[in-house]
Amino acid sequence: MRKSFILSILLAFAFISANAGGYQVRLQSNRSTGMGLTGTALNMGSASLFYNPGALAMLKTKTDFSLGVSGIMSKISFEKFASDYTAETDNKTSTPFYVYGAGKIGEKWSVGLGVYTPYGSSTTWDNNWAGKFLIQNIALQAIFFQPTIAYQITDNIGIGAGFVYATGKVDLQKGLNYGPDATAALSGSASAMGFNAGVFVAVERLTFGLSYRSKIMMDVESGDATFTVPASVGTTIPANNTFSASLPLPANFDFGMTIAASDKLLLAFEFNYVMWGTYESLEFKFDQQGDLLNSINPRQYKDVLIPRVGLEYQLNQTITLRAGGYYDQSPTTDIYFTPETVTLDNLAFTLGATINAGKRLSIDLSYLQISGQKANKSYVPDNFGGTYKAAAFIPGFGLNYRF
Amino acid sequence: MKYRIFFFAVLLAGLWACQPEINEFEPSKGTADFTTYVAAGNSLTAGFADGALYRSGQENGYANLLAKQLESVGRKGEFKIPYINSEDGVGTAGTMLVTKRVMGFSTDCLGNTSLAPVFANPSASQQDLAVLIGTPVSAEGPFNNLGVPGAKIGHLLAPGYGSLNPFYGRFASAPGNAIINEVAALNPSFFTLWIGNNDVLGYATSGGVGDVITPVFGNPGFGFAASLEAILATFEATATAGAIANIPDVTSVPFFTTVPYNPIVLQDQSLVDQLNAGYAQYNGAMQQFGLPYRISFALGANPMVIVDASIPVPPGYEMLKIRQITADELVLLTIPQDSIKCAYWGSQKPIPDQYILTSSEIAKIKAATDAYNYTILNAAKNHNLALVDVNRVMKQIAETGLIVDGVPFTNVFVRGNGFSTDGIHLTPQGNALVANLFIDAINATYNATIPKVNVSEYNGVLLP
Repeated sequence: MRKSFILSILLAFAFISANAGGYQVRLQSNRSTGMGLTGTALNMGSASLFYNPGALAMLKTKTDFSLGVSGIMSKISFEKFASDYTAETDNKTSTPFYVYGAGKIGEKWSVGLGVYTPYGSSTTWDNNWAGKFLIQNIALQAIFFQPTIAYQITDNIGIGAGFVYATGKVDLQKGLNYGPDATAALSGSASAMGFNAGVFVAVERLTFGLSYRSKIMMDVESGDATFTVPASVGTTIPANNTFSASLPLPANFDFGMTIAASDKLLLAFEFNYVMWGTYESLEFKFDQQGDLLNSINPRQYKDVLIPRVGLEYQLNQTITLRAGGYYDQSPTTDIYFTPETVTLDNLAFTLGATINAGKRLSIDLSYLQISGQKANKSYVPDNFGGTYKAAAFIPGFGLNYRF
Repeated sequence: MKYRIFFFAVLLAGLWACQPEINEFEPSKGTADFTTYVAAGNSLTAGFADGALYRSGQENGYANLLAKQLESVGRKGEFKIPYINSEDGVGTAGTMLVTKRVMGFSTDCLGNTSLAPVFANPSASQQDLAVLIGTPVSAEGPFNNLGVPGAKIGHLLAPGYGSLNPFYGRFASAPGNAIINEVAALNPSFFTLWIGNNDVLGYATSGGVGDVITPVFGNPGFGFAASLEAILATFEATATAGAIANIPDVTSVPFFTTVPYNPIVLQDQSLVDQLNAGYAQYNGAMQQFGLPYRISFALGANPMVIVDASIPVPPGYEMLKIRQITADELVLLTIPQDSIKCAYWGSQKPIPDQYILTSSEIAKIKAATDAYNYTILNAAKNHNLALVDVNRVMKQIAETGLIVDGVPFTNVFVRGNGFSTDGIHLTPQGNALVANLFIDAINATYNATIPKVNVSEYNGVLLP
């Protein structure tokens, strides 16, 4: 009986869907991950300061600490148009993490601090692959620090807001058409500020959440650019240069609700509206030989709406099981799709579990599997295109401690 | 129990997730039979580049790249090429044998050192080079690549051509053979032909003085059209499919478009006055003859003074058959730059005719190129051959540029990526581009799906 129930959950959610493409990473709580990355209408203790700071007002214990990590193991395959040429990435495992702490101050107020990694990507193609003049490898990483305050207006309504300090770095390398080993390697860092805010409402068996995360523009100034080119062009292309570039971390507008279908079963539904439209182009400006080296590279991302579904089933006092899924549309267009950020329409399903180890400590496990839909994409400015397919599997582990 | 199923579900899902295989491409020969491929043509087909025939140039020639791609649609056996056993290679410059040219540093008459094509081995002896080009390799044949540097269309049909052209002589299966006679031994099922470039280039690269343009009409071995029919007939004895490429216009090619018409830069008014005074008599004479030509200089960039034998001056005034070049006329890459910089070529001394294509010479070349291309187009239609419109693509490269796999092609000398250091022949990237043009045309004509070449896998002009 129980087996067939779990299987039916798997089947039901394997093909429902929704997520955040581009270089957004929503793996900021293993409980959320298990439930199809829903979370806006979940009261998740300290982890809510990311998903919905309004829910932080509803802390069930005086203090709550969460930490966790996920391992993104991804692979992208590529087949060039009109060719039998194939390539695949050798991506390093990336490990987004989170650490949250929150506590009540008096009856109505809660405060918290979170450190988490909501944006990042790592793509490593072979240095000699067919798209080497577009990208050889790239790694983006952003760490957010977010002090947060929340206020419980009534027993049913909480509001909250957080200040975000974001720091990030980017490393990328691409081939240059100056012989077999010519490359440009760029490395830079940036920091910027933003905020998030949310409202959380609990009415009997229902909860609602509304949350907004501001756009953050990461401006890299004086990044290091290293050009490996033949000596004879060293005067026109200096080996060591500095560059500036801006990468937007888009705003998110999230709406979610949950229904407690029974004492044991919680259903969650959510929409994330990710304002990728802000990512129109990636511009590089160089301090030396800018006329020759500066480039404006169109990206033309579009906003996406991601529907998500999740459920949570309390098996017994010790174990809670979760499942979920989502369908995440790629924010890219068909003609400005570069292999630096291979973001495809994703169908994902998730599983999760929490094991209570005593009253105060629980262990969260999650598993997210993304199968990118096969897509024919080109980057027209470089006349490079093919069929891309991506897959990722992402196990996660977390701890929650509260008292 | 209940955890185990969870565990297995995760494991299975993970294994499935990490294998995002794509296998969309299905090679197909369509209605063609690619079992045995033979390529005929001139230096472009031979893999000649950088002013010489050399080993890696031959390997990267479009015909060899195409032969590799044809393997997945049924081509069998080795695609035999009469390799020159040297990476420096051998080419001709006037009556001298030379190695290929690579980018290096050369110092001009003013003492300025700049990046320019230089011989890979300037001290290579004539004797060694003669051995390189003269050593017969016929015993290794029959060869699938019958491209012969220098060959015109009629030469493919000319018995004993090997005794005139050592690039053919070295691999001719019999001394009296014509190139086209080599075909029979191979029984090709498929062929490519790219011929006719030299029929105008011989004239064009000599500034319109050293050669004649092959006429369209005339018997096989003489006229372009009849020669083409004879060549195609030979291939069609066994081949059921083929591709024929047309001839790029000279104005697309860096050899003709790199040196500006107005490199005489004057910054000194006294020099300007001096030159104008020097040509006052010429201008007076032209006025007297009722001819429109005038020579004048001003501060800044000035058009060069050139020899133009077609100027109708009265007898006895032949030395006045000079004028200033116009913006639409072409200066050949071979013009000695030092003579312009230090020996007053183009200002006090007229540029010899052999370095210039005048408007009327360009018109003749264009008319011939158009006529050849029209003949080729009709032949492709009549013989059901794939037509490779190289001319259209070269024009596009020259006018707007063309980017493939992130490699930008222009007709800029050296940095345009497609043309090698001789300004006429192709780089490996240029050959990859041309191989893809062949593939596109063959696929379209024979409903085939031959996989295309990755242009980014190959090099442009290498720099030191």
